[in-house]
Amino acid sequence: MSSQCSMEANPLGAAYYADQALQTSATIVENVRLASGTYRVRLEAPELARRVAPGQFLMLRLTGGSDPLLGRPLALYDTWLDADGRPRGVDVVYLVVGRMTSRLAQVKAGDVIETWGPLGNGFSTEPVDHLIMVAGGIGQTPFLALGREALGGRDYGEAVRRPLRAQRATLCYGVRNVDLLAGVDDFRAAGIDVRVSSDDGSVGRKGLVTETLGELLDEAATDPGTSVRIACCGPERMMEAVAHLAIQRGVACEVSLETPMACGIGICFSCVVKVRQPDGEWDYKRTCVEGPVFAAKQIEW
Amino acid sequence: MARARRFHAPVAHGKARRLDSQGCCRHAPFEPSATRYPLSLAPPTSPAAPEIDLRITLGRLTLPNPILVASGTFGYAREMERLVDLSRLGGILPKTVTREARPGNAPWRTVETPSGMLNSIGLDNDGIDAFVEHHLPYLAARGAPIIVSIAGRTAEEFVEMSAMVGDAAGAAAVELNISCPNVSHGVDFGVNGVLCEKLVAACRAACRLPIIAKLTPNVTSIAEIAKAAEAGGADAISLINTCQGMAVDWRRQRPILGNVIGGLSGPAIKPIALRCVYQAAQAVTTPLIGIGGIASVDDVMEFIVAGASAVQLGTVNFYNPTVSMAVLDALPAAIATLGATGVAEVVGSLQLKRN
Repeated sequence: MSSQCSMEANPLGAAYYADQALQTSATIVENVRLASGTYRVRLEAPELARRVAPGQFLMLRLTGGSDPLLGRPLALYDTWLDADGRPRGVDVVYLVVGRMTSRLAQVKAGDVIETWGPLGNGFSTEPVDHLIMVAGGIGQTPFLALGREALGGRDYGEAVRRPLRAQRATLCYGVRNVDLLAGVDDFRAAGIDVRVSSDDGSVGRKGLVTETLGELLDEAATDPGTSVRIACCGPERMMEAVAHLAIQRGVACEVSLETPMACGIGICFSCVVKVRQPDGEWDYKRTCVEGPVFAAKQIEW
Repeated sequence: MARARRFHAPVAHGKARRLDSQGCCRHAPFEPSATRYPLSLAPPTSPAAPEIDLRITLGRLTLPNPILVASGTFGYAREMERLVDLSRLGGILPKTVTREARPGNAPWRTVETPSGMLNSIGLDNDGIDAFVEHHLPYLAARGAPIIVSIAGRTAEEFVEMSAMVGDAAGAAAVELNISCPNVSHGVDFGVNGVLCEKLVAACRAACRLPIIAKLTPNVTSIAEIAKAAEAGGADAISLINTCQGMAVDWRRQRPILGNVIGGLSGPAIKPIALRCVYQAAQAVTTPLIGIGGIASVDDVMEFIVAGASAVQLGTVNFYNPTVSMAVLDALPAAIATLGATGVAEVVGSLQLKRN
């Protein structure tokens, strides 16, 4: 894994020090609504697109003012390709939650936005038979690229990392209601098996995403020859529940954490989380450079 | 090294401690505007640029240019090496180090505010032993002067750390962080002139390197503290650290920051910082380093004209990581705009209206 390689090579030990990152002004190609308050913004940023890998993020900042002041970390949704199949830019899917995202929703094709990335470590690329992605709320966004790569649809991140491969990729996707369901067609087009659940039953099965996950794990348990790994992103309580379930079933699980960040590049020390160390004690780790993907068992929830 | 950025040996319960650590204006006022220079003046290809002397002197410390990056806003520089040509910087101030490792404050540690941000990081760091062993050798090899920011709980700790930095190879100067609002006792030396003077004098006596005192704006008279630092023998005075502030979530009826109160930084505090630099410049002859909301070459020039010999870029590194390079590119043309041939000529060149 590239992150582990750089960890070995780096005397300071951090898994990832923005070692592929660049800062650029990117032109907006389109900014389209996918669901209630949910948009996909497409940036023209070829160099960034060539480097970025699933699970990594970029910082986006509106130009021309100091309010909002800071950039916002947003996960790679997917890269987009030119006519010759070369990466031309990145897609980012976001939910309008505050001042920055509400202004981002107003941005139009031809506008310019400031971005820096790719940032963070990304998901593990260890080969697995069945990759189960578990998403809640807007947490589905890192999984399109991950699932696409796992199924051989596209390789990401130049030659510095080996691509992830899986026989099968399933997305368990929980939403509050049908209005918030975003990107399901993209996932299905990539060959990902999508299992939707909703709090109110307005789409998919009524109930929690962990119920769907539990059934998949039951099914997997009948075939011990098949390796399974969970990748999870969503509200903290959901990730905690998924982590516990995974630990209980003895299944490898990675979580992609979302913490408030000011810089995204490891210099502000805002985004710390309690991460359990090999000696059993916890230490604050920066989500931006030492994550955002952590082994679920490492997190002190 | 699987233990991420932390080093040293395990100790008991991680909760309390870190374990494995880790000139004169003859022309029209310089207009702040989006298009700052005519193309003919655009650096670095400007014909005027090579003639501008960017070197500055801060007491016993000479720096290649006045553009520094502020402590706590640049990590340990390693994080920035792919984004910034570190060797071009006038100085790098790595994140403040303390005698012992500190885990820092509980999240949330930062919150965005109008044109600014509040932080209560709490001096999260691996302690000076780890710093000297693991960070300083890396920093020393970057080609830029390294100014080590230290914070002690006591005068003794400040003195001990000053000596340690002086004895270790690689540092160009020591900055005394006597102004961190997020740790107890950290600010005492920054608000009491008598303590400040004694501390600066003691650190100077214990350390071969130039000593810089970094002041807090959260005092009645910044001029008095600046005089105290000068009396203690400071080679330079940095100002300002953050302004104390607070953010409240009224719906939850709770403070937003884990530590309740934090330090405000960013463009919101620039006028306060400029005022402090101006007042200090009136009070002392010690060279000043301006800090506070500086985000562009125009901001840099405002501080220099107000009396700062150098500046530190801080919060702007968070939201425009390559800003230091853009400012360095633009600086010679800005100096030339004032008809000067060097930075030193325009330091404190503010013209006050006469009746």
